[in-house]
Amino acid sequence: MAPLVPSQEELQRRRIIGVNAETVTNIPSTDFPGHWPGESHGWALDQFKNDFKVEYHRNDPYEASFSLIGLDAAVANAFRRILMAEIPTLAIETVYVHNNTSVIQDEVLAQRLGLIPLKGSVEGINWMQWEQKAPGDEGSAAPELTDFNTVVMQLDIECTQNPDVADDETDPRKLYNNAHVYSKHLTFTPVGRQEQFFVGDGAIRAVQPDILIAKMRPGQKIEMELHCVKGIGADHAKFSPVATASYRLLPDIQILRPIIGEDAKKFAKCFPKGVIGLEPVTSEEASRAGSGYEGHAGEQKAVVKDAFNDTVSRECLRHEEFQGKVKLGRVRDHFIFNVESSGQFESDTLFLESVKVLKLKCARWKRGLNDLMA
Amino acid sequence: MPGSVHSQDAQDQSMMDVEQPQDELMLDERRILVLPGSSETAASFQFEGEGHTMGNALRFAIMKNPAVDFCGYTIPHPSDAKMHLRIQTSDSTTALEALEKGFNDLMDLCDVVTEKFTVARDQFNEENSNKMQS
Amino acid sequence: MSREAYQVPSSVSGNQNAFSNDTGYGAMAIDSPSVVYLCGECSARVPVKKGDPIRCKDCGHRVLYKERTKRMVQFEAR
Repeated sequence: MAPLVPSQEELQRRRIIGVNAETVTNIPSTDFPGHWPGESHGWALDQFKNDFKVEYHRNDPYEASFSLIGLDAAVANAFRRILMAEIPTLAIETVYVHNNTSVIQDEVLAQRLGLIPLKGSVEGINWMQWEQKAPGDEGSAAPELTDFNTVVMQLDIECTQNPDVADDETDPRKLYNNAHVYSKHLTFTPVGRQEQFFVGDGAIRAVQPDILIAKMRPGQKIEMELHCVKGIGADHAKFSPVATASYRLLPDIQILRPIIGEDAKKFAKCFPKGVIGLEPVTSEEASRAGSGYEGHAGEQKAVVKDAFNDTVSRECLRHEEFQGKVKLGRVRDHFIFNVESSGQFESDTLFLESVKVLKLKCARWKRGLNDLMA
Repeated sequence: MPGSVHSQDAQDQSMMDVEQPQDELMLDERRILVLPGSSETAASFQFEGEGHTMGNALRFAIMKNPAVDFCGYTIPHPSDAKMHLRIQTSDSTTALEALEKGFNDLMDLCDVVTEKFTVARDQFNEENSNKMQS
Repeated sequence: MSREAYQVPSSVSGNQNAFSNDTGYGAMAIDSPSVVYLCGECSARVPVKKGDPIRCKDCGHRVLYKERTKRMVQFEAR
């Protein structure tokens, strides 16, 4: 017996999660074998290839927004989690302080330095190896330092009096040289094969040159060596390549019964600008019996213009006059991703990287399966 | 072993040494364990160092298999980095096969996502650069 | 470590009063090692020997601070 195929309307109905004033309905996915009698829902790659869609909304180097349509929440969430916690990046891990006479304490300074996002040749960073510390052996010996696991940076800076400055000058940045220590003062020395990768534009440096690290006064000095390693966000947030990586479901607004005139204006005000539009009721609509528009020709009616920008605030559900006239919801399988890179990689590459990481994890675990099969 | 950072030929040797073992190391640490009380068609697997990321995605992929009667995952204790995955199947397959199929399906899915994403992005970039020019 | 300049002054006799200006220790002070302190007022470097008055030579301020250690210190950036 061929499996039943549900109608388009039924499928559309199943795609919508209901959002009521106080409750949500139709929450879990039901597209699994055995849930709907007679329907298939088994994994079919061809069908997925057909149904899955990507829409791009924005692609700036450090911020991208796109929709993944036709995915299950489990997978979309895996991508989001991997973006935040499992894509390796470079960050300062160990700080060797030779001298620090500034007022900021060594350990505080070290912590601040660790959080500075670093960039450099992507090829070079990919070439570098990273080792995940096995859980529970924090005290174990540090891995040997080599050119493919450690990048060495220097922070050598001294504050001095600026001799040629006006007598009435009060700005410490002009009175003294190097009164403010910025991330641009970090210098990088390539070691071994790093000289091939991290040259010119590919040199390791801070993403933003103007991150304030410390303030100093004449006579004070900071002299330290910084060792940067690759790590993942799950270990420490400084390794996370994204500022935010989030998704929301596409909002869905259905106007069930006509909202006309003053009510329509009020209705539009319940939503962000541009979501609800006002259109005049056509004479054709007005002449159709049972449409709810009878005798309202020329008046303004509310129509859904652009549900994408809605925040699903549910404000419209609080008003008596809209009771039963509107149904709010979200589309279950339409994920609007927003990925904001912290600068090491471009946002779109980051997403591709997250897909790669998921696949790699699968491959790795699958290889582990062979032991069980034997 | 890479003793010096400067000696070039010792380096290249060490690269080969290091690249391979690293993967093995990962496998060594992260091994799948079959929990006691399993049968051919019903088994619980323990994944070390794994969480909701893999757990939920894998659960989804395995549940999509019509031969699977039940699949669920849990993280028994939040401070142990361990994830348990339970699979029960019909007689036509085994829990182990269902798990392997889950990995395969998930990897296929990843390929499709990469492909479609790249196409959509390139198309978007092209349209945008056209807009900028005109 | 080669850069380590600081050496613990060997104590010759017990319970000396560091604040005393007792000239009885004067002869010993000449060849005893000096430790550099920083003046709390003018930040001048003040070498102080055993028995010396605790006082800055430039400004006469009586609060002196120890210098920072010359040893390298390691921190985790976490």
